[in-house]
Amino acid sequence: MNAGFSAASVCTMSKKPLGFVLLLVLLIPSLCARAAQVGAAEIGTIGVEDLIRHMDALWRGETSKALLTMTVTTRRYKRTMTIEAWSHGKHRSLVVVRKPKKDRDVATLKVKENIWNYLPKINRVTKVPSSMMAGSWMGSHFTNDDLVKDSTFEDDYQSSITFAGERDGRAVYEVTSIPKADAAVVWGRVTIVFEQSAMTPLHALYYDEEDVLVRTMRFDQPREIDGRLVPMRMQLQPEDKADESTVIVYENIEFGVPLQESFFSLQTLKRRR
Amino acid sequence: MPVNPSVFVFIAWRNIWRYPVRSLLTVFALAGGLVMVILYSVLVEGISRQMVDYATEMSTGHLQLHRRAFIDEQDLYATLPWSYLDAIETRLPDISAAPRLYAAGLASAQASSTGVLMKAVDAVREPMVTSVLSQVRSGTVDLGPASPSEEGLERHNVVVGTQLAKNLKLQVGSELILVTQAADGSIGNGLFRIAAILNPVDTAFDRTGVLMSIEAFQAMMYLQTGFHELAIKTRDTAELEISQAALDATVRRLTAEQPLDALGGAALVRNWREINPTISDMLELSRSMVIVMGFIIVGLASFGMLNTMLMAVHERTHEFGILLAIGMKSRWLMLMVLIESFFLALISALAGAVIGVWSGRYIQRHGIDFSGTMPDGYDWAGMSFEPVMRGHLEPAHVISACLIMTLVAMLSSLFPCWRTVRLKPAEVMR
Repeated sequence: MNAGFSAASVCTMSKKPLGFVLLLVLLIPSLCARAAQVGAAEIGTIGVEDLIRHMDALWRGETSKALLTMTVTTRRYKRTMTIEAWSHGKHRSLVVVRKPKKDRDVATLKVKENIWNYLPKINRVTKVPSSMMAGSWMGSHFTNDDLVKDSTFEDDYQSSITFAGERDGRAVYEVTSIPKADAAVVWGRVTIVFEQSAMTPLHALYYDEEDVLVRTMRFDQPREIDGRLVPMRMQLQPEDKADESTVIVYENIEFGVPLQESFFSLQTLKRRR
Repeated sequence: MPVNPSVFVFIAWRNIWRYPVRSLLTVFALAGGLVMVILYSVLVEGISRQMVDYATEMSTGHLQLHRRAFIDEQDLYATLPWSYLDAIETRLPDISAAPRLYAAGLASAQASSTGVLMKAVDAVREPMVTSVLSQVRSGTVDLGPASPSEEGLERHNVVVGTQLAKNLKLQVGSELILVTQAADGSIGNGLFRIAAILNPVDTAFDRTGVLMSIEAFQAMMYLQTGFHELAIKTRDTAELEISQAALDATVRRLTAEQPLDALGGAALVRNWREINPTISDMLELSRSMVIVMGFIIVGLASFGMLNTMLMAVHERTHEFGILLAIGMKSRWLMLMVLIESFFLALISALAGAVIGVWSGRYIQRHGIDFSGTMPDGYDWAGMSFEPVMRGHLEPAHVISACLIMTLVAMLSSLFPCWRTVRLKPAEVMR
C-alpha cells in the first residue's frame, strides 16, 4: 500500500540534486599537486587553455596514500570515522574505514565508473548499481555519484578562467565549469576559486540547473607537503541545511607512493588491507 | 357514472394477452435488460468488495497511525515510541494493533540486484490485523533467525513477493543480501534466507517488498526508537468512525503525556479510505457507473415497451373512439393504458429479478474463471486479483434495479398515453 515509497528515497538522506564533485576526498591530493606546480611555474601569465591542459596532465599517474577523519553532522546523527585511503590518478581509489569499531573494515573501491563496497559483517562485496548512485556515501553528504563522476569531469565539463584578480584581499583565480551539451551530469555550474600565489583551492560552489547554489565546499588549514600547499581540512555544506555538514580532516598525506593499478582490485578490497 | 377502478385493472390485464407473443417479446426485452443490470452490479460489487477486503485485510488494516513526516517523505526517523504501542493496546482493548517499520534498500542475490522496500512486522501481532502472512505461495512463513550461511555468518529469514522472487531468481532457501543506509549513517547490511514466497496481492509489494522481523530490521538499521506504522483492525467495521475517534483521542492524550520529537511531525490517525483514496474513489465511481449503465440498458429496452404500447394504442384507435363516444372519459382510457404498461413492466421486473438473482448467485458462488488466459490473475488499481472473478449479489441493488426499470418503462409509456388523451371520437370513428 505504500506505493510511493521508492527504494532510492531512504538511502538518499539528502534530497538535493546530487551529482558531480570535482574535488573529492581522494582526489584533493592530486588537485593540490597539480595546482602547486602550475602556481610555482606560471603565476599571473598563464592562459586558460594552458592551465586546464596542464592541470589535466598533472592529474594522471599521481598516486597518494592518506589517513583522514570524516565527521558527518546531520540533524539526526553525528558520526566520525577514521579512514585510510589510496588513490591512483583519478580513476582508481580504495577507501577503508578503520574506526569506529562497528564500521571497521567497511571498504569502498572505485575503478572508473564502478563502485564496490566490501561489508565485513556479511563478508560480501556488493556493486553499487546505477539506481543507487544518488545515495549517500557512508552516510556523508557525498554521494556515490560524487566518487564516480570525478573520473569524467574533463569529458563532461567545459572549464574556463572567469576571474583573475583581487577578491577579499587575496589574489585569486576563479575557474568556472559548465557541462557540455551531451553530458549526463547534475550540476549546472561548478565554480572553484584558487588562491593565486600557491594555487591552493579556497572554495568550490555547486549550482543546479536553475543556477541556484546547492552546496559549498570550503578548504582551509593548508600545510606544506612534499613542496606543495595542501589544504588539510575540507568542509562540504549543503545550502538547504545550515546545521548539517561533512568535514574531512587529513591527518597525513603522502604523494608518489608506489602503487600499481592492479592494487585497485576486488581481491584487495576483500583482503581489507 | 360511478367507476370501479378494478374494472380497468381487469381490462388492462386482458388487453396484454390479446397479443401474447408481442407482449412476451416486450417482457423478454425488459427482463433481459434487467438481468444485464443485475449481473453488472453483481460483478462490480464483487470486485469492489474484493478490493476493500484486499485493502483492509491484506495490508492496510482499518486504521493506521503514522508520523506526519513518514507519510510525506517516508522519513526513516519519524517513528512513534514503542511505549505508544503498549499504551494503545492497554487503553483500547477492543482493537488489534500491529507495528511496522519500513526502509528502502538494495537486495542482491547471485548476480542481480534491485531496489526493495523492507517491511518489518511483528509475527505475532500482524496476523491479528491482516492476513498478509497467510498468503503463502511456497515455503513456510517464519521470520525468525535462519540457519547460518556456509561461512557461518548469522542470517535471518525473510519473505518476498512472487514478482521479486522471479526477478531475482529466488527460491525458498535462497540467500539474499540486503544493503541500506542505517539510521546512524553507516551502511546497514545483512544476510537473509528466503523462508517463503507470497502470492501477489499488492502489486507494489509483490515487486519490491521484503518482509522481515522487527528484530532483524532493528539489528540492520540501528533504529531502536520506535515504529513507523501502526495498522489497526477494529472489531466492527460499521463503527469505523467511532473507533477512529477513540484512537485519535488516545493518541492525543499520549502525545500530551509523552511528547514526540519536533522533526517527525504530529501523529496522525487515518482510516483505509483516507490511506487509499484511489481505491475509495474507484469504488464510488464504479457504483455510480452501475446506475448510469443501468439507465442506459433499461432505457434501450424501454424502446421495446414504447413500440408495443404505441402499437397497442394504434390498433385500438377505433375501439377507443367508440368508448369515448358513449361517454368514457379520456383520462380513464389513459389510466387503462398506464395500467397495461405497468403490468408489462411488473411481469418483466419479476422475470428479470428471478433470472438475475439466480444467475447472480451462480456468479457469486462459482465466479467467472479466467485462469485459462490469466493464470496469475489480473492487476487493477495497483492490486492483484485472483483469476476467478467473483460477484456479490446485493439484494438492495436488485430492488433498486427493478424500480429503475419499472420507472423507465412507465416513463416510456407516457407518450402512447398522451396520444389516447388527444383522440377525437368523431375523427377516429370515421
